[in-house]
Amino acid sequence: MDRLYSPLQGRLDGVVYTPDQFVNEHHTNYGRIHFWTPRFVVDPKTTKDVQEVIRFAAENNLHISTRGSAHSQSQLGISDGGILLNMASMNQVISLDEDNLTIDVEAGMVWRDLVHHLKKWDLAPRVLTNNLGVTVGGTVSMAGIGVASFLFGSQGDNVVDMDVVTGAGDIVTCSRTENSELFWSVVAGLGQSAILTRATLNLRRTKKMTRTYYLVYDDIRKFMVDAQHMMDSGKWDYLESWASPCPQGTKPVNGRRQVFAKWFFPFHPTVEFDPGDEPDDKMMLEGLDPYDCIYTDDIPTIEFHERLVPIFELWKAAGTWEHMHPWMELVLPWETAADYIDQVLPDLPPGILIGGHILLWPAKGNVSKSLNFMRPEGENLIGFGILPAVPPKFWDRVKPLLDTASMLGSAMGGKRYLSGYINFTEDEWVEHYGDRWPEFVAAKKKYDPHNLLNPGFIKYGNALKEQG
Amino acid sequence: MSIAFGTDEWAQALVAEVNGSSEYRNSAQKWGSDFNGNMLFAFESDEALPDPVNLLIRLKEGTCQGAEFVSESTHDEAGFVLRAPFTLWREILERKTLAAAAILKGKMKVDGGKMTLLKHTAANRVLIHCTASVETDFPGE
Repeated sequence: MDRLYSPLQGRLDGVVYTPDQFVNEHHTNYGRIHFWTPRFVVDPKTTKDVQEVIRFAAENNLHISTRGSAHSQSQLGISDGGILLNMASMNQVISLDEDNLTIDVEAGMVWRDLVHHLKKWDLAPRVLTNNLGVTVGGTVSMAGIGVASFLFGSQGDNVVDMDVVTGAGDIVTCSRTENSELFWSVVAGLGQSAILTRATLNLRRTKKMTRTYYLVYDDIRKFMVDAQHMMDSGKWDYLESWASPCPQGTKPVNGRRQVFAKWFFPFHPTVEFDPGDEPDDKMMLEGLDPYDCIYTDDIPTIEFHERLVPIFELWKAAGTWEHMHPWMELVLPWETAADYIDQVLPDLPPGILIGGHILLWPAKGNVSKSLNFMRPEGENLIGFGILPAVPPKFWDRVKPLLDTASMLGSAMGGKRYLSGYINFTEDEWVEHYGDRWPEFVAAKKKYDPHNLLNPGFIKYGNALKEQG
Repeated sequence: MSIAFGTDEWAQALVAEVNGSSEYRNSAQKWGSDFNGNMLFAFESDEALPDPVNLLIRLKEGTCQGAEFVSESTHDEAGFVLRAPFTLWREILERKTLAAAAILKGKMKVDGGKMTLLKHTAANRVLIHCTASVETDFPGE
């Protein structure tokens, strides 16, 4: 038995696991790119437990990695020889304030559970990610983007206040007005300064039903004209879009013939309504110029929130859920987005989308106030993501393609979304954060002075020493 | 049969390679349509190349309209110049390094509109592929 097991377990209400008790999931995350073995996995029960783990780590020269649903794909949610803090064990609703439209939850709350909890009041979080099987603490630490982000920003923007335990072991309540520096360090902060244990979230009232229009575009520039029109119209509650291949045959790419596709751009604007007050289709689609309107779909709002569950279930059934997921997502300036997409999609083999997809998000640049969620300047932005499921034997082929797409995106003014496959050098980390980098590093130094939290992802180089 | 790098015969082989590539014809349809698409590849001297070599390639809308080795690393007809030590060029031509990656990491210098190059990444990737496809006797081999 590990000599530190009993001292650690003795300080906690939660449970400590040793390697002989680990399951496969403790060694990796959704990316299945990195495989690390922690020394302990801890299921904390309370904020005090989290504080005790941090103190114990400091006393024993251990580091701590936090894990929600471990949907990250790089070196987050896993631990190499340290303590893996499984925040999913703190997953309770604390209280609902229906008057102020807020809810207080523990950080390990899974969004899907929260959505179901709120259903009977016709309430929902303002922003939901496509995959609801992730935790509040996880996505707030990343940013948390979804189909309503063009209206409400990131999930991090919709936190009213939160309790965190800093890397120094202090339990602190923070908000935009109270300990605001720490608040903005934690929002999209990748768990570098503190561990989020409780959050109060903004909610919105929902209508009973949604109507989704299944539009499709054959030209990215026409798509963008209508996307801007939709974002500015005030008509829509949700905007979701994709790039979808229609395979044409094979062509040479780098001398090797591969399947290539004509890419289409499905666009699914959605509006909520109550039965008896159905939307006027003509009015909703006025001014738009899609290649086709294929279908309209009315479903209960709760089912809309869970619209991707059947797809995820299919991926699981097909086995691709177990493949590598080196997702490459970035936010592009409106001005370069079409040119970028023109360069990336034509040579992308449609086959890498088996068990994955290509995302497009029309977004507003000024809605999010998050300081650590880096995005390009500009009123309008486009999110773009290549989200493949890659059998390990094809990784050598896919990796250069994704690396090049990432570098090209950065060169064209884009900013990577950091939950995916990130292969940044030290210089690229500095470039990613730009003017924010000194403050990001300063917050790390201030709130995690012993550099305990979530090591191995951000390459600080000598930055922590230089500023200290 | 391999052709000596730096000779007129090699330049003509490159022209044939580019014009025979349906991949280039398709991906470069817009290259040089409203700007000067001629490229100058500057192979800078290093331990593997005693004297610098400069290759001017005339490109427009998916076709190669000529290529020649020129004496200087600048040329009035060139719209873009890509400069790198010969050893890096060899890595690119042997597909060990991606030209786009070398440009984005600053290892390969660009004279001309870098954003225009980036907007036509696919066309230029295929041009590099065509260059790499010429069977070549490189210096020192």
